[in-house]
Amino acid sequence: MMKRVIGTFLAAAAAAIALSGTVLAEEKPIVIGFAIAQSGWFAINDDGGIKAAELAIDELNAKGGILGRKIKTIYADNKSDRAQGAKGALEVLEKGADAVFVDLDYDMGVAAALEANKAGKIAFSIGAEDVKMGVQGVGPLAFTSAMAAQLEGAAMAEWGYEKKGFKTTYLLTDTLIEYTKSVCNGYDVAAKTLAGAKIVGRDTFKNGDPSMVAQVTRIKNLDPAPDVIMICTFTPGGGAAVRQIRAAGIKTPIFSTTAMDGNYWLDAVPNLSEFYYPVHGSDYGDDPRAAVNDVVKKYKAKYNAEPPFTHALLGYVAVNLYATAVERAKSTDAKKVAAALESSDGIPTILGPYSFSHDLHIQNKFSFPIMSVQDGKHAVIDTWVTKTPFTTNELLRKAE
Amino acid sequence: MMTDRFSIAKCLARNASPLVLCGAVALIVIGTALANDAALDRTVTEALVRIVYVVGLYIFVGNSGVISFGHTAFMAIGAYTTAWQDCCSTTKSLFMPALPNVLLQANVPPPLATIVSGVVASIFAGVVGLAIVRLSGIGASIATFAVLAIVNVTFSNWDSVTAGTSTLVGIPNYTDHWIALLWAVIAIFAAHFYQTSRFGLSLRVSREDEVAAKASGVSIFRQRLIAFVISAFFVGVSGALYAHFLGTISVDAFYIDISLLTLAMLVVGGMNSLSGAVVGVAAISLLIEVLRQSEHGFALGSLTVSAPRGTQEIGLGVAMLVMLIFRRNGIAGNQEIGERLSRFLAPQLQRSSKLTEDF
Repeated sequence: MMKRVIGTFLAAAAAAIALSGTVLAEEKPIVIGFAIAQSGWFAINDDGGIKAAELAIDELNAKGGILGRKIKTIYADNKSDRAQGAKGALEVLEKGADAVFVDLDYDMGVAAALEANKAGKIAFSIGAEDVKMGVQGVGPLAFTSAMAAQLEGAAMAEWGYEKKGFKTTYLLTDTLIEYTKSVCNGYDVAAKTLAGAKIVGRDTFKNGDPSMVAQVTRIKNLDPAPDVIMICTFTPGGGAAVRQIRAAGIKTPIFSTTAMDGNYWLDAVPNLSEFYYPVHGSDYGDDPRAAVNDVVKKYKAKYNAEPPFTHALLGYVAVNLYATAVERAKSTDAKKVAAALESSDGIPTILGPYSFSHDLHIQNKFSFPIMSVQDGKHAVIDTWVTKTPFTTNELLRKAE
Repeated sequence: MMTDRFSIAKCLARNASPLVLCGAVALIVIGTALANDAALDRTVTEALVRIVYVVGLYIFVGNSGVISFGHTAFMAIGAYTTAWQDCCSTTKSLFMPALPNVLLQANVPPPLATIVSGVVASIFAGVVGLAIVRLSGIGASIATFAVLAIVNVTFSNWDSVTAGTSTLVGIPNYTDHWIALLWAVIAIFAAHFYQTSRFGLSLRVSREDEVAAKASGVSIFRQRLIAFVISAFFVGVSGALYAHFLGTISVDAFYIDISLLTLAMLVVGGMNSLSGAVVGVAAISLLIEVLRQSEHGFALGSLTVSAPRGTQEIGLGVAMLVMLIFRRNGIAGNQEIGERLSRFLAPQLQRSSKLTEDF
């Protein structure tokens, strides 16, 4: 009996070895290493992007891969810890990663991106909206699949002014992280370019502040009331903030950020109305671009769940940008891939054409679908292409 | 001749604990250097930096018996002082425009920057310590935590000097395993010499019995302050080493997580002995690494067996619980590792060395 078991085991092992032999005989795969948060507090933010990236990789592999080579993914969980991120990057590099994909946040992903660049490999963020995730903050081999956070603010300022006739704004900034400060900064810069637009008041709070009574009272006391309140924040604290504003009986329209996308927090503010924010693409199946809806549908089919929020699409875009660049460079050599990304005057993606320049590895112009929430229902009501030009110093928020 | 050999033995015996500890740590580092594995190297270097932190923490907590939740504030100060001195010469004026011109132009060599960072942390500790060490017991602990919260909030919002909540990039990668080892050795010996000195002994007496200590003429305030300042120096240095290790720093890296982790290391190792501090870092670092690897998966032939994600955090919690339930005095259990060795080398020292251990 024992002998038979051993015999079967040996046969299976032999078969396994034979199988792996045939794999080796094929072209070496292109390896994308994800040094990213799969657990810990940040994981929820990366999860959708990783899944969408895997979806894009499946599609590419079904078409035969890049340059005739299949794409393989390997992972190193950074546990939402930056020091671990650097270690994770080293780990995937050691296992032969051709490119390292990092978190959708600059501060979280920078350590891993630095290690990748130091090793002479491409670091691609699956959606950091910070210009520093590029030449300025990492190195010449770092890219991100997002646009600068300032553009979100600019889009809302311009759209509100042009389409809604909003002139006066109350600016409420969540100071816990850099991203929200950048969005409000973008709103500020754009508002200055619009004749007659005015910021009538400013305030700050911190995500997670238990009470915003002081801020809400100051808004209530404004006479005349502002046309719109721009609140630069993110969930979960953002939901609580919006709730407190509405609970105080303030019916003024509210503008916010892409980070407030998703309907999971709407229970906190029953029947929320007059709430608008920009998105990269709609994950509710009503995006003006058929390609985006198609990806959302495939995502649902593969994972049996909707993308958690709009940032997931940036993971899909990151893979396609990298793949297109490798194809154009005809190589996975990081310098050639970077050159291909920089020289391109428009790589088509599901979110529209992307272009990078020698010193700007983030999008400086973007076409946002504008999402509205009325009676707790999401719907894309418009699309806005940002107009305000931002200098690199403005994107670094160092122009003041 | 006989006396010479005897005095060498006596000297070895007196310093047996730090020698054994440093020897063990050095062996691990040499092993790592030979293994030539980048990820392992980073793990070991990080653990060495934590030894500097935890031994620094031990100098105050272990000897005074007052638990500090706030030493991470000194680490933050050490790390930022380093960044002010030798970070990113090209972008410094962009990210930290309000720094004085001297610092904006400065490019202090990393070894000097590390020492200066420790000194600055010490000075800060000296000032806040004036108030904190007057408090007793839990009051002092809460006050240390308040200091940490104040430093954290100040650094997160002082945009023109600390770049606020954003990450500072471009600190030279100067900390390798040898540098970290050097500082770990310095910290271990400093802690040893301190705790066997008149000051250390006085503070230990006050830990065991405040009234008796006062009756014997020990100024608890002064002794605690001295320990607090020395302790802050090493924790500040660990911040500098960490900044030089990672190359990037941000305020939120110096808050609750690292405070609890280092405190856990000290508790698991054994709060009342230097060996406990070092062993605690080694044990917890090893445990974290093993659990992390098991989450990653071990290759068993063609099979990969992996533990579910989050095992590391749960495993760490369970280990601490087990420790607290079954071995409250930590792994080292209030003993110093070299104790037996020193008795063997110089039996006549037994009484006096026993005295220092039992305080």
